[in-house]
Amino acid sequence: MSGRDDRRVNDPLDLESLPGQARHVPDDDEENESPEATPEGPSADPEGRGKDDSEKLDQYLLRRYHLYGDRKAREQLITMYLPLVRSLARRYASRGEHFDDLVQVGAIGLIKAIDRFDLSRGVELTTYATPNIVGEIKRYFRDKGWSVRVPRGLQELNIRLNKVIDELVPKLQRSPTINELAEAANATPEEVLEALETSQAYNSVSLQASPNGESGEEDAGLIDYLGGEEEAYDTMEDRTTLAPGFAKLDKRERYILHLRFFEGLTQSQIAERVGISQMHVSRLIRRSLEKLREEIGDLDNPLPPRSSDDER
Amino acid sequence: MTENISLEVPATLSALSTVRMVLGGLGARLDFSLEDLDDLFLATDRLLEAALDTEHLDSLRVGVVVDGTTLRITAGAFGSDALREQVAVTPGGCIDLCILLRRLVDDVVVQEQDGSFSVLMVKHRSESPA
Repeated sequence: MSGRDDRRVNDPLDLESLPGQARHVPDDDEENESPEATPEGPSADPEGRGKDDSEKLDQYLLRRYHLYGDRKAREQLITMYLPLVRSLARRYASRGEHFDDLVQVGAIGLIKAIDRFDLSRGVELTTYATPNIVGEIKRYFRDKGWSVRVPRGLQELNIRLNKVIDELVPKLQRSPTINELAEAANATPEEVLEALETSQAYNSVSLQASPNGESGEEDAGLIDYLGGEEEAYDTMEDRTTLAPGFAKLDKRERYILHLRFFEGLTQSQIAERVGISQMHVSRLIRRSLEKLREEIGDLDNPLPPRSSDDER
Repeated sequence: MTENISLEVPATLSALSTVRMVLGGLGARLDFSLEDLDDLFLATDRLLEAALDTEHLDSLRVGVVVDGTTLRITAGAFGSDALREQVAVTPGGCIDLCILLRRLVDDVVVQEQDGSFSVLMVKHRSESPA
């Protein structure tokens, strides 16, 4: 820490003479118009203060906040980095959510990054904040899209359907139709479709969850029912550009996707092979593909390298 | 006798639920199995999600033709090369979404029309229930 910085840190109310204090932070419109504007964070100001000054200011404000609890410094950091939030939120603006909402969600990620920033790591705030902001936006989409409140009646029908499907598949030796499910579950086909929609479209399932959909600690997790590693599916990276995304899936997720899309097994056949229900295979496939889609989205929009502790 | 259904929904992820419900209703009428329907839902979701990611759309247009025991789903028109490359069989082979769709439905056809294109997915009822 420099002597100058020491002096300022010892005077938490002195915000007036900081390097870059009066710098210009581009707003959203200006950012759109400026070819120099980048998603990497607040740009250098027009008065000649460059990246070094910006970093010094960041570090200075972070120290003020973390060492002395200076809320003004925190607020200033938030204001300074809102253009970064807007820039990152814009990547997701085509997914049907209001841009302003995404900026607000991203701002939460920014605030968390500022609050959790570890001064001792020597990482720039931009590097640390970017994955936090993106993560918060992605979580927003995931929460909004994948866990809606389901009416109790549909939840109960859903539970009944899971049992009925497990009973009907071995009995019929094939996947049942909607009408067969409706009859067996004492519901209308429309109710069955609605229940399946809430179940399949919005319920995510953890590999740690028990196969019967409950989370009792004594139950084995789905992960325990899945087959072991199979050499063949390692070769699929050579066969598809999904490879970078596949690397982010765990071996068992890759195994199920391999069986479905490269071996061509049906969900029922996979279910039989790994010893879980067809409904669970369906959900696991959806979940894995969703993860792949997110990873590929990130590859299309490379982010600064993550620091080691920004996984939550 | 064939039956034609046209849907136009907002270009949002949440609107895909409406598409799934319509396809589900039609598939149930044709006695599609649960697994057939699930594959159809997944194919439609992946295609339309890719369209949302790559196209600048205000709405999504989906047409469904019910023909005997077959559903023919047409999505588009689309315009981006990025989506075309994901869906079509290119000289480099069939990759990503292209593979996925062809595993989930019985046929996938990219239909070119005046510089834009639509994607036709065909799903047959896999077997008659007893």
